Amino acid sequence: MNRTLAGLKKPERVETLKKKMLDEKRYVSIEQARIITDTYKRHPDRSAIVKRALSLKNALLHLSIDTHNEELIVGNRSRGVRQGIVFPESGTSWIDREFESLPTRPQDKFQVRQEDIEMFRQDIRPYWKSRSLEDVIRERYGSEIDEIALVVKINQKDHAQGHICPNTEKWLKLGPEGIKQEASARLAVCEGESREFYESVILVMEGAQEFMLRYHRLILEKLESESDPAIRQDMRATADNCRNLSQRPAESFHEAVQSLWFLFAILHLESNASSFSPGRMDQYLYPYFKKDLERGTIDEQRALEIIECLWLKFNQIVYLRNSHSAKFFAGFPIGFNIAVGGQTPDGKDATNELSFILLKAQEHLLLPQPNLSVRLHTNTPEELLKESIRVVSLGSGMPQFFNDESVIPAMTRLGISQEDANNYAIVGCVELTTPGNNLGWSDAAMFNLNKVLELTLNNGKCLITGKALAPDLGNIETYESFEQLEAAFAKQIHYFIGKMIAACEAVEKAHIDTLPSPFLSSVIDNCVELGKDVTAGGAKYNFSGIQMIQIANLADSLAAIKKLVFDEKRITSGELLRALRANFAGHEVTRAMLLNRAPKYGNDIVWVDELGAKWARTFNECLSHYRNYRGGLYHTGMYTVSAHIPMGENVGASPDGRYSREPLADGGMSPVYGRDLNGPTAVLNSVSRLDNHLTSNGGLLNMKFLPEFFKTESGINKFSQFLRTFVDLEIPHIQFNVLKKEDLIAAKASPEDYRGLTVRVAGYTAYFTELADELQNEIIARTSYGEI
Amino acid sequence: MEHAAEMTSGKIFDIRRFSTHDGHGIRTNIFLKGCPLACRWCQNPEGIAFQTHLVYFRNKCIRCGLCARNSLYGASAFENRTRIKLGRDQIEDCEACIDVCPAGALSLDCQVMTINEVVTEVMKDRRFFKYNGGVTLSGGEPLFQHEFALQLLMDLKQAGLHTAIESSLQTSPAILEQAAGMLDLIYADFKIFDTELHKRHTGVSNARIKENLKWLLTGNTQAEVIVRTPLIPEYTAFDDNIRSISSFISAIRPDVKYELLNYNPLAQAKYYHVEQKFCFDRNPRMYSDEEMTHFHTIALDAGITNLIK
Repeated sequence: MNRTLAGLKKPERVETLKKKMLDEKRYVSIEQARIITDTYKRHPDRSAIVKRALSLKNALLHLSIDTHNEELIVGNRSRGVRQGIVFPESGTSWIDREFESLPTRPQDKFQVRQEDIEMFRQDIRPYWKSRSLEDVIRERYGSEIDEIALVVKINQKDHAQGHICPNTEKWLKLGPEGIKQEASARLAVCEGESREFYESVILVMEGAQEFMLRYHRLILEKLESESDPAIRQDMRATADNCRNLSQRPAESFHEAVQSLWFLFAILHLESNASSFSPGRMDQYLYPYFKKDLERGTIDEQRALEIIECLWLKFNQIVYLRNSHSAKFFAGFPIGFNIAVGGQTPDGKDATNELSFILLKAQEHLLLPQPNLSVRLHTNTPEELLKESIRVVSLGSGMPQFFNDESVIPAMTRLGISQEDANNYAIVGCVELTTPGNNLGWSDAAMFNLNKVLELTLNNGKCLITGKALAPDLGNIETYESFEQLEAAFAKQIHYFIGKMIAACEAVEKAHIDTLPSPFLSSVIDNCVELGKDVTAGGAKYNFSGIQMIQIANLADSLAAIKKLVFDEKRITSGELLRALRANFAGHEVTRAMLLNRAPKYGNDIVWVDELGAKWARTFNECLSHYRNYRGGLYHTGMYTVSAHIPMGENVGASPDGRYSREPLADGGMSPVYGRDLNGPTAVLNSVSRLDNHLTSNGGLLNMKFLPEFFKTESGINKFSQFLRTFVDLEIPHIQFNVLKKEDLIAAKASPEDYRGLTVRVAGYTAYFTELADELQNEIIARTSYGEI
Repeated sequence: MEHAAEMTSGKIFDIRRFSTHDGHGIRTNIFLKGCPLACRWCQNPEGIAFQTHLVYFRNKCIRCGLCARNSLYGASAFENRTRIKLGRDQIEDCEACIDVCPAGALSLDCQVMTINEVVTEVMKDRRFFKYNGGVTLSGGEPLFQHEFALQLLMDLKQAGLHTAIESSLQTSPAILEQAAGMLDLIYADFKIFDTELHKRHTGVSNARIKENLKWLLTGNTQAEVIVRTPLIPEYTAFDDNIRSISSFISAIRPDVKYELLNYNPLAQAKYYHVEQKFCFDRNPRMYSDEEMTHFHTIALDAGITNLIK
């Protein structure tokens, strides 16, 4: 990193704005819901896409807005920050059920105003009954979805499909005026259905222009009462930006960042979906940055200040989920995912000064958003790698790392062009996409392989309730060999995949009918060209991603059955079945044997890791025969966000020694926590046995380190070597939790969950949980990251 | 005749992958059992005795009693002994009770491995060694099982790996010379300068150690040599000792690399498992930065120019 960048300071104004933001209470807002409902009521005869366009335009024209004088980047989708937006087009039934409990529910609480609840029940809810996405899906396909719910969690049932990376570059180059002209030109020469599509694009662009002008006017109003000359000057510049952007494309860096934020605020206004991803900001913003630097209108410090103002904006939009979904995706992962570094479309290293500035902003703010990712490849410069590690060591878990050497080949295997694959970005948490041209539908469903194994071992019956959920193909006692068991398992997987595909199709169809998205479509390649909405398959690429849950528990369970029941016969199949049915009560010796006498995934034991990989391959292969509703491929991912907890609640006692309803392994590719006893290199070797293409939709590997490791330059060097090998091993993803004091206190209290946690002791590394009390305290005292 | 790598076996009490503190890069540490010294503060007390022991981990035990029903050793372990010394002919018998334990609460304190087995284990991480890393032999005193250690070093070198050793130098000059020829890095421990004190606290005189050190520092080996003194309160960490060691080695070689290892209080945890009394009733703390600077100054004043901090 050059000296100028190393000397960058924390901007003062950002601290002020951050404090204001965090002090504001989080409320549920029904303002936009009223505007949408009114619009729909006024235009009962228009098609879905025009209704949606008119609703968005009205919201852009009439929603109340606000700014702070210190802001260099303005705009939001609601007047207050971090509001839970009620969005009736996608679903009102669950809000009707849960409105009162929002302030007290266990995860992701919101304050509510009593008058809003009343207005919602009186004016909004009645109109949307059986019209919203949620109700449409429920009426058309609800019972089928419920029937498989313990095995397959079908997503996007009550909210619009996000998880998409728009073509920000196009937006910056054209702006709303340019896109409006593009659509007008197409409209002039087109006939049929596409006419409404282009009309809708024009409507929402007019709305966008007016939205920007409203901010321009508001800032000028506020300028009257501001006396600080420095702030006044910035306010004028910010107001000018808003006016300029409503009329022409972005020219300066400051304008480009403001323009980017308007794009994302409006995308959220249109769809209220999870994750619109800015993607490769250091690439498409670079020309603006460089030009301003050259003509001397900004310096690096100013660029950083602008970026940090944008970073705050990323934290002002949260996403209101139903309580069930909040358990799966806890803590508002809204998914402004930014990918730093990586390669250019023609395969050269893409690192530039902005890559470092984006990392610096993360280092200063340590807020949950953006979700910062660094793309690594064989030729990633050492400085970028080291700077990333330094930011990781601060303990926010970011940046996370993606591996071009794994991701790019996995993408081209799906038929994505080499150029597009080289240019990949990330949406949501770890889902992979090509930017600006891909509706990846990456969270189509989560498939619980461990539940299917349970049904295979127990006559198709749920171990928790005894209810028949799948065909009865026998149980562990009736299978005469491990191969027979595997054959039955494969059959059950096929059975549930078939049901899942039908459900996914029903969901996609309902999205086409209820949630066409003209604004989003205008920034996704091929939609404008084809005159076809993105939900209907207008994008250049159309995938559906299914998550395999959870390979670690599955490999551990199958390895235990193979070794202890079939190979060594140390446990009889009858005993195993009884132990599972009893949740191990009275079968403690059997459980101890399953836990301790069978090898576990994540320890670099080839046959165990291969068992996991084999079933992931089988699943992936089976899926590859299907096409989604938009004509695209299904593919697989291995990540859970927080879903390993609720999905674990659905699974009875398992042959890996896990008690009924306990969480599954976290991450997606990670070993079960506490079972990886051979250290981090063994974990990487194990994970590398999962082929690249199994995680073309995204993989997640979690690792935990003590902060001590990062305290010396030598530690950082070794960490960088570790990551270089991670790149060589073609593992798609890794993220690091730097352990905090509380983690160690927890490890002391529940040692069984933390068996794999190691600490450096003199000439060797020891398991933390095996150290004497006093020494554990000593290490806890030394680990001073509790304050962060 | 079978190849030596399949024939020769040694007693290994631990193999640690991702060792990052001793030597360059990411390393695998191999801990060889047996040591001619018996330092009272030893960080790896289970590595001192060459004999195999049965170890019982009470915190893992689920009290099922299966071991007690299967063997005498199991029974005796179950009665809360934590460590039982085993004669050569007893080991096989003992393995039955280890095998029967569902909880993994019983184990031997070392395993007998062939050279091939050790090399295979090490090679699992070869892709991590690419960036500067390698293997470190540790112990115990790695040259105590010298036949095994020398053959192992030869095979590791043949596999193209960077090799390091942590040695007390209490070995014959001939063995040291052979080992040095196959090593890239030698950590030579020099604990106490005064011969009488050395004998009292480690059980042996340091005469041979001094001679071997001289040999190493007078240009007889290509290997990088780093002399180290572990700072053990009362035993090694006093001004006179640091001063004498520093003058002694810098007189032999003015640019000698010297490192003072801060006291690490965590070793105490192991003494419970070996049923021995730790050398401190009240475990001292690590030295502060100021105290470390004090020791560093003494070393520098006594002629050290190449101090590793």
